Amino acid sequence: MEPQLMSGNEAIAHGALRAGAGFACGYPGTPSTEIVETAARLDGIHAQWCVNEKVALEVGVGAALAGVRTVVTMKHVGLNVAADPFMAVALAGVNAGLVVVSADDPGMHSSQNEQDNRVLARFAKIPLLEPTDSQEAYDFLAEAFALSEEFDTPVLLRTTTRIAHGRGLVTPREKLAIEPKPYARDIAKYVMVPANAKRRNHRALQRLEELRARAEVSPLNVLEPGTSDFGIIASGVGYQYAREAFPDAWILKLGFANPLPYGKILELYGQVSRVAVVEELEPFIEDQVRAMGLPAIGKQAIPIEGELDQTIVRRALEPYLEAEPPVRGPVTLPQPPRLAEASPAPAADGAPDLPVRPPVLCPGCPHRAVFSTLRKRRLVPMGDIGCYTLGALAPLLAIDTSLCMGASIGMMAGFNKALGRKAAVGVIGDSTFFHSGITALLDARYNETEGIVVVLDNRTTAMTGQQGHPGTGVHPDSTEGPAIDIVALCQGIGVRCVTADVAEYKALDKLIREEAKLPGLVVIVVQSPCILYQPPAKRTVEVVGPNCNMCGLCLAIGCPAIAPGDDVISILDNCIGCGLCADVCNRDALIMHDAVVAA
Amino acid sequence: MSATAGRQGPMSRGTFTVSVVGVGGQGVLRAAAVLAFAAVSAGLQVKSSEIKGMSQRGGSVLSTVRFGPQVFSPVSATADLVIATELLEGLRGLSLLEPGGTIVCAGSTRIPPGAVLRREQPYPGGLAEAAAARGVNLLEIDAEALAREAGNLRTVNSVLLGAASGLLPFSDDDWRRGLAAAVPAKTLEANLRALRLGREATTSQEALL
Repeated sequence: MEPQLMSGNEAIAHGALRAGAGFACGYPGTPSTEIVETAARLDGIHAQWCVNEKVALEVGVGAALAGVRTVVTMKHVGLNVAADPFMAVALAGVNAGLVVVSADDPGMHSSQNEQDNRVLARFAKIPLLEPTDSQEAYDFLAEAFALSEEFDTPVLLRTTTRIAHGRGLVTPREKLAIEPKPYARDIAKYVMVPANAKRRNHRALQRLEELRARAEVSPLNVLEPGTSDFGIIASGVGYQYAREAFPDAWILKLGFANPLPYGKILELYGQVSRVAVVEELEPFIEDQVRAMGLPAIGKQAIPIEGELDQTIVRRALEPYLEAEPPVRGPVTLPQPPRLAEASPAPAADGAPDLPVRPPVLCPGCPHRAVFSTLRKRRLVPMGDIGCYTLGALAPLLAIDTSLCMGASIGMMAGFNKALGRKAAVGVIGDSTFFHSGITALLDARYNETEGIVVVLDNRTTAMTGQQGHPGTGVHPDSTEGPAIDIVALCQGIGVRCVTADVAEYKALDKLIREEAKLPGLVVIVVQSPCILYQPPAKRTVEVVGPNCNMCGLCLAIGCPAIAPGDDVISILDNCIGCGLCADVCNRDALIMHDAVVAA
Repeated sequence: MSATAGRQGPMSRGTFTVSVVGVGGQGVLRAAAVLAFAAVSAGLQVKSSEIKGMSQRGGSVLSTVRFGPQVFSPVSATADLVIATELLEGLRGLSLLEPGGTIVCAGSTRIPPGAVLRREQPYPGGLAEAAAARGVNLLEIDAEALAREAGNLRTVNSVLLGAASGLLPFSDDDWRRGLAAAVPAKTLEANLRALRLGREATTSQEALL
């Protein structure tokens, strides 16, 4: 195919399509904007603007979980906005490949700051790819998606202004045949409650060393032989400046720079007595090279702020070539960090295998009713952060994902948009809705996404201990200000909104069943207060022995006040009489009474 | 065993560590607060630490109180004394103790976790055997019965503190101040009664041994 002149951003969009991506989203920001704009002009890839970078990444994670290779784009400061889902998806991993493009702006041509987002790849323990021209921007997408899927990790593709907005020739390549990857529920992987997150973090740390081994042999990391006694380590556009400034030098071009391939670095040092690191902004590579005990000409010579060019690089480094080569001490190849034990070792004296005691939804918790109806539907429930995340635990198993605050709605939207149907439902608490669910709902409305959002409005921030929020108007000193109405808010942005109450369980069940079949976007606000915050009137449950056949329907709601007895169900002392067990019983074996039944 | 033998032992090493274990909602954090305030009253340095994010939702809860002439770390992988407000958590808490350590456990308080309710696992027993196998002193008391005797069922943790008091360098005044700082004023007298009942129960139990 004929080479075409493309900006880096155009090349990324074309490269994504060529690599089988079907979904591109982001929030505009110079110098990243043209990636989504270009994708929008290509057949075979859905492109959408999102309301902000956080929502864009959550939508992207949802699309990747649905099985479609996805690219999410933003400028450097956008990744600050998206940092919450970014750090969480780094642990949860992906299904189909997920590539996050961060376009940095050294020199602040059109930004409020300059920051080097390579450090965020290291921070998140994920692979970092840095193209040095438009052709690589095009080609690296295929490598990025392959790494993402093989290592089950998002990949950060970092560009800078001169890559994103610079133009160069791109030779298009044969489109890759990529099959969609059907979603498979994996609560232990996608629900970041502490027990799961600990295991995923451990896995991410192991993964990092596996990625380092891959970076050692990656075709993206190239040692270009030179004819002088001078070597340069470079990445991104810095490579082009170094190559032009020092045609005779050995150059190690790091297209895959995190985790750093130590062996490649040593290989370069084996060839030359002087080595410089040419990189814009942070001494990202340099610091790690120095930690190996290797002398490097770096930020003492090369400016740490603003952009570089070949003149700056040449003038900065030339004086060092005339000086005596630095004396090298012993090289220490950094050892992989020690990881904590995956799980506590069993006691030496053979202590019994004690039952674990995970936290549970309280007896009488109104969320339980929503979960017991949701689990009967074929909808993928995207969860959020709060008490209701506990709906993921056995026996309810009614939450499939919990990434970060407010992620449920964006993930639902991305999942449904990628599949083109109402496949997922977002489940979010009232406080979390105000935290960052609103922006995702705006996004779903703007992008005309079909789906269901269930707001579990228990009138408080329950998990952390009953704090106020904008929906209650309650302040830390218990004074009250204006309370914002969720229903009016949803209607104000043109989203259909209906209310339900767990006290009317059968009506709630019917509502969710029917809404699943309707087109469009709906918010169902389940208005049932937290029982710790507003304890309901005490009722009691009578077990009608002859009617109970221990079918297990009431046990399936996972209430800690219900246990199987020898012949019939037994109701324990911690029952508060919410009546959900009686609602789900279809043999009239559980009867509610307002007063205590005489024994 | 002698409950007073431990008083000088661990303290002479500098820092005494008490771990209070139980189930979220049982008042574990408050019991630990009583200990911390009593230690302050006794003129000791104190640090305490707890993980409370899930503590209201029925999960396992562990709160650590460390006191002595000088305290550095707020946590410790081992404890000199474990106070357990529930039997299964007491069994779990044994792993915090080294031989010679002591556990005070509300042995008659059993809160079955989900796996037990679902009959996937039995509710475990054998605390006495497990403690003996580990070389750990066990003070097992019916805290609920004594709390009822004290006139308020919610004073069970004070019963446990009373049972443990023989191992702790706190005067009656220290206990009063510790409780006053951590429990509602109107329940202070009931809590003090519960503390005394717990202490007497331990003394008589030791007398039997």
